[in-house]
Amino acid sequence: MNNDQNSFLPSSQPIDIIDGNITSTSNQNELSTLDEPIFETIKRDLSAVLRKFSHALIPRQSLTLLQQWDLWGPLILVTTLAILLQTNTTKTSSGMHFAEVFILMLIGSIAITINSQLLGGKISFFQSICVLGYCLLPLLISAFINNFLFYLPYKSILHIIRFLIVMIAFTWTMYASICFLGQTQHPNRRILVLYPIFLFYFLVSWLIILHTHSK
Amino acid sequence: MMMFASDGFLTDNSSSTNTGQTHVFTSFPNSAVDVDDEHSGNKTINQSDSNQYTLPLPATANETTSEQYHLWQIEYYQKYFQVDTRQVVERLIGSITPRPNKSYFDSTIRQNPDLYGPFWVCVTFILTVAISGNIVDYFHKSATEFQIDFSKITLSALLILIYWWLMPTAIYFFFRWRLNRIEYTFLELLCIYGYSLTIFIPISILWIIPINWLQWTSTLIASIISGSVLIVTFWPTINSDHKRFSALSMLIILFVHLLMALCIMLVFFHVSDKNINPTTETTTVFTTVLSTTPK
Repeated sequence: MNNDQNSFLPSSQPIDIIDGNITSTSNQNELSTLDEPIFETIKRDLSAVLRKFSHALIPRQSLTLLQQWDLWGPLILVTTLAILLQTNTTKTSSGMHFAEVFILMLIGSIAITINSQLLGGKISFFQSICVLGYCLLPLLISAFINNFLFYLPYKSILHIIRFLIVMIAFTWTMYASICFLGQTQHPNRRILVLYPIFLFYFLVSWLIILHTHSK
Repeated sequence: MMMFASDGFLTDNSSSTNTGQTHVFTSFPNSAVDVDDEHSGNKTINQSDSNQYTLPLPATANETTSEQYHLWQIEYYQKYFQVDTRQVVERLIGSITPRPNKSYFDSTIRQNPDLYGPFWVCVTFILTVAISGNIVDYFHKSATEFQIDFSKITLSALLILIYWWLMPTAIYFFFRWRLNRIEYTFLELLCIYGYSLTIFIPISILWIIPINWLQWTSTLIASIISGSVLIVTFWPTINSDHKRFSALSMLIILFVHLLMALCIMLVFFHVSDKNINPTTETTTVFTTVLSTTPK
């Protein structure tokens, strides 16, 4: 009894103390990234973004992509897509405005995050924006190609060619996002989680296919 | 003397017996096991393979046993999403194949109603209607006039979501007030009606083809097929008492179903003989009618 009471008093019993320096080596690294030249920071972030772009183009499974998510790629790609899909809206029916692509991206990410969490997966909102944004790269390339093709003659065959190009880009995009998401889901429910992503890219593909220039 | 043991916890090694005020952590409860381990993942897969009808648990199942979730936490809603791919596909196929004696509802949905299937079937239907409506406009108008019409998405979402929620509400209150019992919970009714819209997804793609008789016959056939699945589901309950109402209520259910399909077909897809373009704003409809009458 006496032993137990005294064991909680600071000065009575000898207790082995762990001593050391409070500033550990991890703090040292953070200070050094604040002090480094801007060129180093930009180079590091840019190489991370470019690495993710290459993963979107040549899909391979890697868990580190989800763990080190960033939003630069989605920002660049969605802005470019919104600019490409602009039309001159002078008629009474609404064309594609700049903000609608952003809103579509936002609603799609929210829906996919909530769906994936409800089914037991562990993806967060920013991770899903990262995946959806980076995997838009093939669709963006197809939108570029479509814009150039529009200036050629032979209109009727062009419909079919544009449709085929966008469909190829769509399958490429789906394959890339399947590889990105990897093992985050229970195997029995993988298709249930991937289906909303399919719907999202399907909608974006049709927006690209139906986009015309008004002369 | 108090010292740090090998597992990192502060233990009292001076006395061998536990003297009541010091707690020695030597055993860990099962909830501390990481559910993302390969071992536990394999365990749930084996369970699902062995017994065909036990439902595999979601990845967070071990943590839900003793906690009461609130309305704003996402785990509160997880109980409505306890389905697998195989089960969803089974329910989808069951909703488009009417069998006279067997209600697919009793065999598949009743023990585990879910919200995944109905919600995503409705969203798919909304998107295919909106996209197909835009495709019809694309081929109908010249290249300079066509604009992607976003209001089609909101209009189709309004129509379809109202139908999906209105009919279950009406049937739920019908059962409660007329028959004085709750035969189907509201969730099960939402399930039935959500899955009944499955057949309209390929039909909405078929509606793009601008042949008049094809549009009408496909609408009729699709409504009859999915309506008969609805009738087979509700018939045993309705028929057991109040026989006067049974035939009438079945007819009403079928009629409202047909009405919904016709509404969507006429608003988005119908190309009549006079080549009046279907638009979503009433003012432009009036102006086109006025402009085409002098012909």
